[in-house]
Amino acid sequence: MTKLRLSGVSKAYGATLALRRGDLEVMAGEVHVLMGSNGSGKSTLCKVIAGSVRPDAGKILIDNRPVTITGPHAAHAQGIGIFYQELSLAAHRSVEENICLAALPIKSHLFVDRTLLKQRAARYIRLFEEVAGEGFSADALVGNLRPDQRQLVEIMKALASEAPIMIFDEPTSALDRAQVDRFFEILRDLKRQDRGVIFISHRMDEIKAIGDRVTIIRDGETITTLNLAETDAASVIRLMVGGSGDMPASQSSAPAVVNGKDGAAMTVRDLSGRGFRNVSFEVAKGEILGFGGLHGQGQSALLRAIFGAGSISSGEVLIGDGRFDASSPRDAIRRGCAYVSGDRGRDGVISGRPIIENVTPIHYLRDRLLIARPSKLRDKVVPALQSMHTKFQSLFHPINSLSGGNQQKVIIARWLIDRPDVLLLDDPTKGIDLSAKADLFALIRQLAAEGLGILLYSSEDAELLGNANRILVFNGGSISRELTGGDRTRYNLYQAAYEAA
Amino acid sequence: MAEITITPRARAGGIRKLLERYPFLPALLIVVGLLLLNGVFSPNSLSYRSLTGLLSTYMALILLAIAQTYVVYAGDIDLSAGSILSLVNVAIVVLMERWGGGGGAVLLALALGLLLGLACGLLNGIVVAALRLQAIVATFATSIFFTGFALYILPVAGTPAPALFWRTYGGRLLGVPFAFYILAALTAVLLVLSRTRLVTQLLAVGDDQQAAYQTGLPVVPIRIKGYLLCGLFSALAAFCITGDTASGDPLVGGKMTLYSVAAVVLGGSALSGGWGTVVGSALGALTIGLINSVVFFMGTPSEWQNFVQGFAILVVLMAGVLAGRRARA
Repeated sequence: MTKLRLSGVSKAYGATLALRRGDLEVMAGEVHVLMGSNGSGKSTLCKVIAGSVRPDAGKILIDNRPVTITGPHAAHAQGIGIFYQELSLAAHRSVEENICLAALPIKSHLFVDRTLLKQRAARYIRLFEEVAGEGFSADALVGNLRPDQRQLVEIMKALASEAPIMIFDEPTSALDRAQVDRFFEILRDLKRQDRGVIFISHRMDEIKAIGDRVTIIRDGETITTLNLAETDAASVIRLMVGGSGDMPASQSSAPAVVNGKDGAAMTVRDLSGRGFRNVSFEVAKGEILGFGGLHGQGQSALLRAIFGAGSISSGEVLIGDGRFDASSPRDAIRRGCAYVSGDRGRDGVISGRPIIENVTPIHYLRDRLLIARPSKLRDKVVPALQSMHTKFQSLFHPINSLSGGNQQKVIIARWLIDRPDVLLLDDPTKGIDLSAKADLFALIRQLAAEGLGILLYSSEDAELLGNANRILVFNGGSISRELTGGDRTRYNLYQAAYEAA
Repeated sequence: MAEITITPRARAGGIRKLLERYPFLPALLIVVGLLLLNGVFSPNSLSYRSLTGLLSTYMALILLAIAQTYVVYAGDIDLSAGSILSLVNVAIVVLMERWGGGGGAVLLALALGLLLGLACGLLNGIVVAALRLQAIVATFATSIFFTGFALYILPVAGTPAPALFWRTYGGRLLGVPFAFYILAALTAVLLVLSRTRLVTQLLAVGDDQQAAYQTGLPVVPIRIKGYLLCGLFSALAAFCITGDTASGDPLVGGKMTLYSVAAVVLGGSALSGGWGTVVGSALGALTIGLINSVVFFMGTPSEWQNFVQGFAILVVLMAGVLAGRRARA
């Protein structure tokens, strides 16, 4: 039975067509995967269904009845629940209030019914009880939670809509494996209840694990819908990317074995700080050192601390032979350290400003540039952007006009004008499409070949296995295991991450 | 070893929890501190009688700060609150005088005053939330409009309020000062309001308006209701100022608007919205009142009083920020 059908939905923002022709059919009792590169229109399509974006044209049918969705409130009434990729949480409200916010239970027409609210929220909190982690409780403020816990709250909020049609727009990007597994069990329950689920993820293994059918969107147009059981990753990616010529061939190629003969790029001895303790390692020039393990085991905290943005209580960091202990990111940058975060919105993008300004801030700092002349800067900016095949119309367009993957390329480009000695990558590919990932890793490997020392934390095992020369597995803030050479297998990584956890 | 490291963290977490639950605690400490300071300079100022006087003098600012809090909850601001106060002040004084100043006339005038406050709030709400004009500029414009209306009703300050009205406000009922009845009624109203769905929704809108919209909350009506509450409490503030000054003055509230905003911030609320308490704002208003009285009792020469007042407010603001930061770290 068809739950939801969209045909010919389109949406334009000014001159840019976000969605050209969106078609989608979701059956009762299926998990329907939407795939497409960043900026292809998946999120717009979801928002049209959820009522937060009004379409310019097209038809929406729910249970074979044509409907007009005038806003999120109306969508809720039509039986649509959604998980927003950018989350729709109130940071200063408690977990339980956030879960019930869309339909606060009331008594005497006026007052919030606290007991009912607690009961209702508890039902959804219980679903994730074992995997929610430390500090998660019904009355905790959402703003105090870790990113993965916030994402869980948004999942609970979507589930609390109890809607027959549920949309999950990248719900797993910050979750660890145990949390994802639990979430998938819940999705299977929803399937059993004959609900229609729309699911977006960039992780192929997740899609294989939970999806029934997949609809592929490219450049705002629905290309086709396939049965996932009858297809393979390569053909899905080929359809997503379009021409078969730019297939990300680099994805699975094994990197060179350790070649640390040029000396150390960075040495870390017994470093402790908030979120990590007694960490020691050495990264050679030209080496890519991977950080693995479950989400939030100190990898990000360590990288931020090295970059001078976190706290260090003891231990030392050396770049080359000199002591490095950066007191602030400014200091770190001056001394040849670079940091790229997966959280572009918070750590990278200068929102609303032109692309050229987003590429040049590091150059300003390292060259002590006082007066900026666009014509001169252009010669430095353009090659940096081109080295990663960044797509942009003009250097003076605001960075927000780019898709997530292209934004991240711009952020990385800013470090390429004045080469750093050490590059810290903190889950740099979060929420980026596959072809952009391929471009990114091709560049990272090239940088390593040119003699940079690179620390790479990634929440995706495949990225570590495919790119890192060695992998340090983190557990509870310290290194629990080092994987080298032939030990770098998915099985070992998985096992080391869960050891003692 | 493990216990030693855990204990301080748990305690810091406790203070943080406490501050999260009662964000007005720093403001309360500051009020107590200022009261003590008052006592040092003039022991007499801590007497029952002077405290009652302080309360009835600053009740208007307390109410105006509370009015401001409800719009600040939603991330908005109302720069016309003081003008609404002026407008309601002159309107009820003129009406009471016209109708002879009897009990019935007073009550009727007060009822109309409340309606006038609500109407002003509605206008602000429509202009800001429905027409989507910038709150800070739009309410600045309506404030000029309201002041103009007040000047039209009463061009020159000075029309006296009926004796019945100000005698009741400044007097006693069954041996208890009237200001305490107001305080008790206010506490009850605020307690009821704090449990309403509207307040939770206002805070959710203030936290992240886009998120609230995507959640399916009716953002525009919620913001308008915030302005309605603001208009209502501004009218109540006008009643108190009328009782305190016993006359009509079309410009009486002009200076009070920014004091109300300052009181909201001193009370620990975030001007960006989503975070705050009305109790804090009331304490913030008291803080401003107490600073004025300390400055007075210190015997500051009159030409220096503004200087010292401004400086003292800055110091208190800084103390509040530091306390909040310490608790969060």
